[in-house]
Amino acid sequence: MISVNGESLDWSPGKTVRDVIREMNYRFPLLIVRIDGRLVPRGSYDSTAVPDGAEVDIIHLMSGG
Amino acid sequence: MDDRNMITVEIDGKPVTVEQDTTILEAARRIGVFIPALCSSDLVDPYAACRLCVVEVDDGRRKKLVTSCNYPLRRPVSVETSSEKVMRNRKTILEMMLARWPNVKLISDLAAHAGVSEPRFIHPGADLNPNACVLCGLCMRICEQGIWENIINFTGRGADRSVRMPYDSRQPHCIGCGACAEICPTGAITMADDPNQPYDAEMVRRAGMRVTEEMIKYDDEQCDMRGVGTAHLVEIMDAYDLLPVMNYRFGAHEDTPKISSDVFRQNYFSKGKPDGCWLGCTMACAKAIEGFRLKTGPYRGEKVLVDGPEYETLGGSSNMGVFDPDFVVEYNFYCDTYGLDTISFSTMTAFIMECYEAGVLDNVKTGGLEIPFGAGDAALELLHLIGRGEGFGLIAGRGIRYMKKYFAENFGADPAFLQDIGMEAKGMEYSEYVTKESLAQQGGYGIALKGAQHDEAWLIFMDMVNKQIPTFEDKAEALHYFPMWRTWFGLCGLCKLPWNDVEPPDNAETDEPAKVPGHVQGYCEFFEGVTGKPQTMDSLVRMSEKVYNFQRVFNLRMGFGRREHDVIPYRSAGPVTVEEYESRQERYDAQLKEDAGIDPKGMSSVEKVAALRKHREKQYEHLLDAVYKRRGWTSDGVPTVEKLLDLGIDFPDVLELVRKHGG
Repeated sequence: MISVNGESLDWSPGKTVRDVIREMNYRFPLLIVRIDGRLVPRGSYDSTAVPDGAEVDIIHLMSGG
Repeated sequence: MDDRNMITVEIDGKPVTVEQDTTILEAARRIGVFIPALCSSDLVDPYAACRLCVVEVDDGRRKKLVTSCNYPLRRPVSVETSSEKVMRNRKTILEMMLARWPNVKLISDLAAHAGVSEPRFIHPGADLNPNACVLCGLCMRICEQGIWENIINFTGRGADRSVRMPYDSRQPHCIGCGACAEICPTGAITMADDPNQPYDAEMVRRAGMRVTEEMIKYDDEQCDMRGVGTAHLVEIMDAYDLLPVMNYRFGAHEDTPKISSDVFRQNYFSKGKPDGCWLGCTMACAKAIEGFRLKTGPYRGEKVLVDGPEYETLGGSSNMGVFDPDFVVEYNFYCDTYGLDTISFSTMTAFIMECYEAGVLDNVKTGGLEIPFGAGDAALELLHLIGRGEGFGLIAGRGIRYMKKYFAENFGADPAFLQDIGMEAKGMEYSEYVTKESLAQQGGYGIALKGAQHDEAWLIFMDMVNKQIPTFEDKAEALHYFPMWRTWFGLCGLCKLPWNDVEPPDNAETDEPAKVPGHVQGYCEFFEGVTGKPQTMDSLVRMSEKVYNFQRVFNLRMGFGRREHDVIPYRSAGPVTVEEYESRQERYDAQLKEDAGIDPKGMSSVEKVAALRKHREKQYEHLLDAVYKRRGWTSDGVPTVEKLLDLGIDFPDVLELVRKHGG
């Protein structure tokens, strides 16, 4: 199990940041991802695995009018 | 990046591992190996015109000279950047350049670096100007590729080649963004200083160019503002249950894809280029639809150009329960033509539709209009009635606040129900976001000085998704900073969108990415460049705070500046009806249990609606207390005398007014 923005989410081996974003249906493009406080570069979402028990923060910035 | 896509090469004996298809020039720069290049920039595609970046590549079978700026690395190779063959080639090119442009410092520097001090050749057309154009083509390429314009290009051949605007005439399509001047390596293109005589025009331009660079490099992968404008938010808001559907009852709908930004990109937006509100804007998110044939109204059958639609116009359509792109374009056009705001029209029509479905209205009361949710034809007929000032249009056109009173007094409707579903605050219709799950955003609408508009503070993601502002104090701080900050754009006549609809590459690494500190610094420089007065984030906010508080006092004078005027319709804070509650029952039941401490087990839906309402209304009152405290206002929402003194707006009539209201 991992925590994403305070919500629990099932974990499975090899689950990447991209998988988490997809599962949470986070469609917004301006995201900042931190795993246990460590910043994940935007180009590495596909290759960064999320460890079991991790606290993932997926910060949405603002946009629009 | 997948390891299979990485490749290791050797440049001047140094190994470097890069992504496949990285150019040799880029790979060399990453390990600090200098390769001269005149026509190369990371803002435009490789051009391979100057030939100075030629290097020698050995792939194990043979050696060959290639231009490093456009040579993609796809297998392990060995590269020499200054072999004898390379240097002989490079020197010849530089000698020719030096002969033609002997006084251009960039050319003489590059020549000197290659060991050339005097050209072997004499050029009959040598240009002695130290700022001569060296025909690198960067200017025309950034105009075409970066700005999506084609204002300048090469003209003439051979020695007569030069960069010109078509027919040597000043082009009305040039937006004056300055990108060509900024990228010009010799100073051949310069910007004429603004006739407004800013204190430091260069400082202003550099601040602007940083945003232009970000637009060129990142907009495609970020918000695609130049491609579809704010319309990109339609599908996003739907995904987060924030797109208003049927008078804000719901936040998503299965038909949303019918009015998504892709539909407009593929079938409607006819301008394949950005369309700015004013010259010089390189975000240029306005969109246009050409040749749209109208189906209704005074221009029925005519083909017209439509400016839009933006997000709010699309969100307004879902709010009316209409998911027909033709309808969106038609109501957009006629709102513009009649001088109506699409937000106000759609929100008040959504209110009318709910009143119609709830039995408050019928087709007798509306003068024949049958107008349930989804009735696009009826909505357009109502729009024309408002435009002509006829029939039910005379009532509807006066807005929700008027209608609430009118329907109660003339149709016997329940005023409490109308207050709950009539989405206005201070007499202004809500814009198109569902705020039920974000207390901070409820405050953002309710406390906003002009009425229910999100442009003071859009906090839904921070609050509801990121959970960055969990306490009342956190929310109050956000409802202090962001309205003050965004007021500053109004003070300076600036659009807010370039602040946070494109993001600097290092924004994630800053302490407060939501504030986009890199851009705030740019605005400080912009202000200093115009006025000569250095600024900080705090000083900009302080400017706004003076005006914001003055505006609050103005509201007070006009009868809108107290706590009772910051009330919101309950639809903004929670589910009004059983139907709404039951549509998100799992969510609301959990909130009752976890947030309100009430076990929903055994409660009827009506009881749950009432219990949740009691809880949420209390939360909103706590929020007002916290925000007023943070802003230095009384518990009645009136700026205190101390606050006015602190801000230096303690004019006698202002003090007299706030004292009268307990300030």
